[in-house]
Amino acid sequence: MAQVLVVDDSSTVRNEVGGFLAANGLTVAFAVDGRDGLEKMKADPSIKLAMCDVNMPNMDGLTMAEKIRSDLKNGTVNIIMLTTENSPAMKDRGKAAGIKGWIVKPFNGAAVLSSIKKLVS
Amino acid sequence: MIVEKLVVSKVLVLDDTRTQFDSMKVFCEECGLVGIRPQHGDEASVMAILESNVDLGGILLYENFGGEPGRGLELARKIHESRPELPIFLRRDSVASVAGFHEKDAAMFRCAYTQADLQQLRTSLDASIFSRAYPTDLVRGITEMTRASLETLFPNCDIDIETPYLVKDRIIYGEVFTLIAIDSNWCRGYMMLQAAEDEVMGLIRRGAGSEGETMTFRELNNVLGEATNMVWGSFKNRYVGQNDSRHEQMQTQVPIIINHHRNYISFGSEDPQLCLKYTLRERNQPNAVSVSIFQRFVFNLNWSPEDFKENPSVESLVNSGELEMF
Repeated sequence: MAQVLVVDDSSTVRNEVGGFLAANGLTVAFAVDGRDGLEKMKADPSIKLAMCDVNMPNMDGLTMAEKIRSDLKNGTVNIIMLTTENSPAMKDRGKAAGIKGWIVKPFNGAAVLSSIKKLVS
Repeated sequence: MIVEKLVVSKVLVLDDTRTQFDSMKVFCEECGLVGIRPQHGDEASVMAILESNVDLGGILLYENFGGEPGRGLELARKIHESRPELPIFLRRDSVASVAGFHEKDAAMFRCAYTQADLQQLRTSLDASIFSRAYPTDLVRGITEMTRASLETLFPNCDIDIETPYLVKDRIIYGEVFTLIAIDSNWCRGYMMLQAAEDEVMGLIRRGAGSEGETMTFRELNNVLGEATNMVWGSFKNRYVGQNDSRHEQMQTQVPIIINHHRNYISFGSEDPQLCLKYTLRERNQPNAVSVSIFQRFVFNLNWSPEDFKENPSVESLVNSGELEMF
């Protein structure tokens, strides 16, 4: 049972973000790509927030966000993208998929922690 | 668009005529060349340099190098057999041409010149080594975004960056390299990061404290992979147009050839590659050995610097690392 799902093909990022969140009292699950993320979402209905990279093998993060809404019919989980991408077109696609926010890497935990906790509560 | 010589190139200088040293030094500086001389003039020393990672743009060779008439030609044959991608520029005493050489020998040299007239050499250098002009804004931008990425991933290190240089070498540095495609309307190719495994693993382990003891090479793969991802993302945000219509161009591909035995990689293009060397020095560890990471840009599929432009500032109201709520 986890509150936050961190989805990134980089274990460096998963460790950094997950470690920070766990150190600040949140329970964290991990996925290595969009396909894995969908499986983890399906298996754990307690997840309140997904933090996802965009560029991942097998399934990218924006496609995963779209499928969370369409295939899993989950309209309540909050989704934030954590990515190197910063293009307006990608953000528009994310907004259409109902994502809540966008962080351009590198991750700055201190700057986003309070917002993350609100999205989880 | 102003194109300055912000980039240099390293050349191996095989010329032991002492009276030429000063004028050659001045000439190299004027042309943006960094001259490297072997410590000894024997063939073994010269070939040892070529097999090491000096990242050369070319070779300046005197026809009587080593004090013996014609020795330069013998050396050129060995060099050309081993490293045909490196252009050789031949200095001769009296004739600024390869007249009198066997056709096969003549083909080894980009030009023959005399000290009395260096314009021929200058023209040949421009065509062979400086055939690509890299926009100053691009080169500066690359160093900024790469430095920022490395500082994020190696927070315990100071990072020095050498003057960027052009390379014709195809030798891979170290044991591990990353490769990622770059696509835009004005450039298509790849970016590589190359590093020596043990050196970077040492940095990563020491930076991780007690957790570093159990780390394996896979952690190195992850860190270098993330560095590549971050630089690529920054490059894309800054230099790839939002409306780049590159569908047709993206249909072309060429094989990349890697020979592990010879530490050799080829992208099928003979154009010089832009190379940058980042040196990481651990703060508070004065005895630690500095670690090098080499970055190469190989725009082998398309290079149109006249179409280069930077995207409008993408930071807008939100800095990287902060959450932009929708």
